[in-house]
Amino acid sequence: MAFNITRSRSLLSPDRTFRAITLMAAVTTATILAIIFVVLALGSIPALTASSFVDFIGTNAGPIFGTVATALIAIAVAGPIGILAAVYLVEFAPKRLAVVLTFIVELIAAIPSVVFGLWAVNDLSIRLRDSVEWWIASTFGKFIPFLSEDSNNPAADSVFRAGFLVGIMIIPLVVALSREIIRAVPISLREGYIGMGATRWETIRHVVLPTARIGITGALMLALGRALGETIAVTMVIGGSNDVPGSLFQPGSTIATRIATTLPEANPDVKSVLIALGVILFFVSLGLSLAMRLAARQTAKITASVK
Amino acid sequence: MRLSALIATIAAIIPLIALIYFVIVRAIPWLDAELFVNNPLDKPSGISNAIFGSLQLTTAAILAVSPIGVLAAIYLNEYASPRVASWSELVIDVMLGVPSIVVGMFAFMVVVPQLGVSAGSGVVAIGILMLPIVVRTTQEVLRLVPSSVREASLALGVPVWKTVIFVVCRTAFSGILTAVILAYSRGLGETAPLLLTVRGTFAQNWLDFGTTMNALPLTIYSYSGAADSRTLGQAWAAALLLMVLALALNIVVRARTVNSRVA
Repeated sequence: MAFNITRSRSLLSPDRTFRAITLMAAVTTATILAIIFVVLALGSIPALTASSFVDFIGTNAGPIFGTVATALIAIAVAGPIGILAAVYLVEFAPKRLAVVLTFIVELIAAIPSVVFGLWAVNDLSIRLRDSVEWWIASTFGKFIPFLSEDSNNPAADSVFRAGFLVGIMIIPLVVALSREIIRAVPISLREGYIGMGATRWETIRHVVLPTARIGITGALMLALGRALGETIAVTMVIGGSNDVPGSLFQPGSTIATRIATTLPEANPDVKSVLIALGVILFFVSLGLSLAMRLAARQTAKITASVK
Repeated sequence: MRLSALIATIAAIIPLIALIYFVIVRAIPWLDAELFVNNPLDKPSGISNAIFGSLQLTTAAILAVSPIGVLAAIYLNEYASPRVASWSELVIDVMLGVPSIVVGMFAFMVVVPQLGVSAGSGVVAIGILMLPIVVRTTQEVLRLVPSSVREASLALGVPVWKTVIFVVCRTAFSGILTAVILAYSRGLGETAPLLLTVRGTFAQNWLDFGTTMNALPLTIYSYSGAADSRTLGQAWAAALLLMVLALALNIVVRARTVNSRVA
């Protein structure tokens, strides 16, 4: 599709000029991305060289713990729901219903995260505290202090509730990505298995999901990356405590919430620490995003080899 | 087992319904004329500074970014070698996965020292977040224009640049517009980068990008825990406006994608 024919020898021909203009736009885009990369990489140097890396992790254990905990809770919520919903949409739902349901699920992704935050502060958080959180705490809290209820916890703040909220927010992403991957599993594979007498569900269980496994893992990694970086909704419900909480049901913070709330007024020392934390977030999400692309390529290869 | 999959699908949709219901019910009592006309400092208070602030910030960002993004996509799809195109695709895809708070932090480190805490810095931050969306979506759309269309135009002796502008881009125009709308709706909802660059103000700001401005997401964020019922009500009203705008733009995008032949 590339136009590589040069028609005119004149340096100022419209063809050359237009090509040069588009090239400049592409270079501008690339330069902006490169500058972001370089600035963030350089920005982390002062904080990472001042003390050893282990010390750095130790002094920032609170936000690092909060980031990992909320992201894992989010995946625990969105993973099963999102993958099962994708299975339903691809394998079971009548075509028209599937179109409507997909549309609705994708609309969730369009709602700004700050609106989710407002809803969570005033409604969802309180419901979660009185239902899921209360149930976990009263069932496991007696044996595992990490899951015990904090009696003097203010109404709307805990790491668990922040993670659950992020889980709801990334469901559309998990559904959308898993749907693509499940749809890419060749029909011939399913037909072969059904032809041997397997039921629809056995086919999904033993053929579709195993074939899609790498791709779905990749989808979850991308969702994990999204969950790690979710900022404003988490800031509104996590409570903003800097220490590692004694229980999942106590307030905490994440790297993103620390940056959003304290960076503007931070003194130079705190600033360089926050920037270093942000750079870690940047590289981790870059890595997860890359892993997803590679996994997608791998799945494409497997399905192509069958076709 | 089919049942469990159905239940999961319903579970995926419940939050959307609960959220929309809540926002509408809480916001409606506070939707009055003052809301759109007055500032927080006026009596009775309103959020016009946030409404028009959001529109100004996002519009300025999209005006700055969409020409660059569309032209870059044209270069990648029409001129670049397949190798360069596929690499840049990967890089831009990966950039799309970068959290917006990190881009906000970048703007705070690089742009705020130059432009100060101002609407201008906010425009840069939002623009950076929009750019990869515009490039990638436009590129997808251009790819759907069949080569035969290009070949036909070239065979008639039309120069390459005219072919690209008047044949390829025209065929894909609806899709390119979709890409821009999509980026606009994404930009409207961004909060974290604005928190680090614009910070918000109570005053009305018309087109002065050198000083601070307010935006709907900032109002929602700072009013979200208010004890005063009018302030909290205005947070809900702001959320309703933002949600309606975002959903409407996304529905427009989807309707276009279904109806048009290309994209």
